[in-house]
Amino acid sequence: MYKLSAVIIGILIAIMVTINGALSKGIGDYKAVLIIHIVGLIAVSLVLILRKEKLKFNEKLPAYLFSGGAIGVFVVLFNNIAFNKLGASLTLSLGLFGQLIMSGIIDHFGLFHMKVSKFKSKKIVGFFMIFLGIIVMVIY
Amino acid sequence: MMYIILAFITGAMVILSMVINSSLGKKIGVFQGTFINYVVGLIGTSIMLLIMEGGINISFDKLHGVPAWAYLGGAIGVIVVSVSNVIIPKIPTIYSTLLIFIGQIATGILIDYLTVNVVSKGKILGSILILGGLLYNFYVDKQELISE
Repeated sequence: MYKLSAVIIGILIAIMVTINGALSKGIGDYKAVLIIHIVGLIAVSLVLILRKEKLKFNEKLPAYLFSGGAIGVFVVLFNNIAFNKLGASLTLSLGLFGQLIMSGIIDHFGLFHMKVSKFKSKKIVGFFMIFLGIIVMVIY
Repeated sequence: MMYIILAFITGAMVILSMVINSSLGKKIGVFQGTFINYVVGLIGTSIMLLIMEGGINISFDKLHGVPAWAYLGGAIGVIVVSVSNVIIPKIPTIYSTLLIFIGQIATGILIDYLTVNVVSKGKILGSILILGGLLYNFYVDKQELISE
């Protein structure tokens, strides 16, 4: 059941990238990002209301924790631009490759207070296969 | 080429924002974290619009020109965050990464077929190679865990 849900998450991400790309094409890259954030804000507010959660504004939080949302703006913008040029499958595969490299770097150096787990040289083989797969996707 | 690099960098940024958001979520709860995320994102987007287009002016004609489903992307994003938070802690990372990728790539190939009407063999072959690489690296990690 959980495994099926993981597949569904993947399907939803692909649909989301497509829908956002279409909006971007229709009303412009920057305005699309604005609309996407407004709709998302409404959706998460509904979730909070349904769960009867009260907002905790008095928590003291380090400033960098707020930067996730700012990074998200560029994620949505770049995804939209890339989708309209590269199509769904290539955009998603390249994104996965970027994710793997970034998580490798974070784990290797133990950034953001994560546990250090050094990069294993054997994994270059896997990364090379993934890279090859992307080249095949780009060329065809 | 520029767009290829752009899509790659976006993936790296996804991980950055995920790591930051999960530590925010641990402090104040996942949905409040997501809420703050969207508020910050909305402020960021408004600033970006001011800089790039000199203001926020959206004509209603243009908004009507887009089908209604095109506005649902933001809501799907919230569903993805909600479901991920339930699922990801419950199954090993190898399954979540692989299964999410399989769902994405299969749908992506289908969408490319529906939008530009091509099923490219290269895309299918490429994604099989990517899956092979993912599996191999997970296997390396697993071996390491066992030998420890």
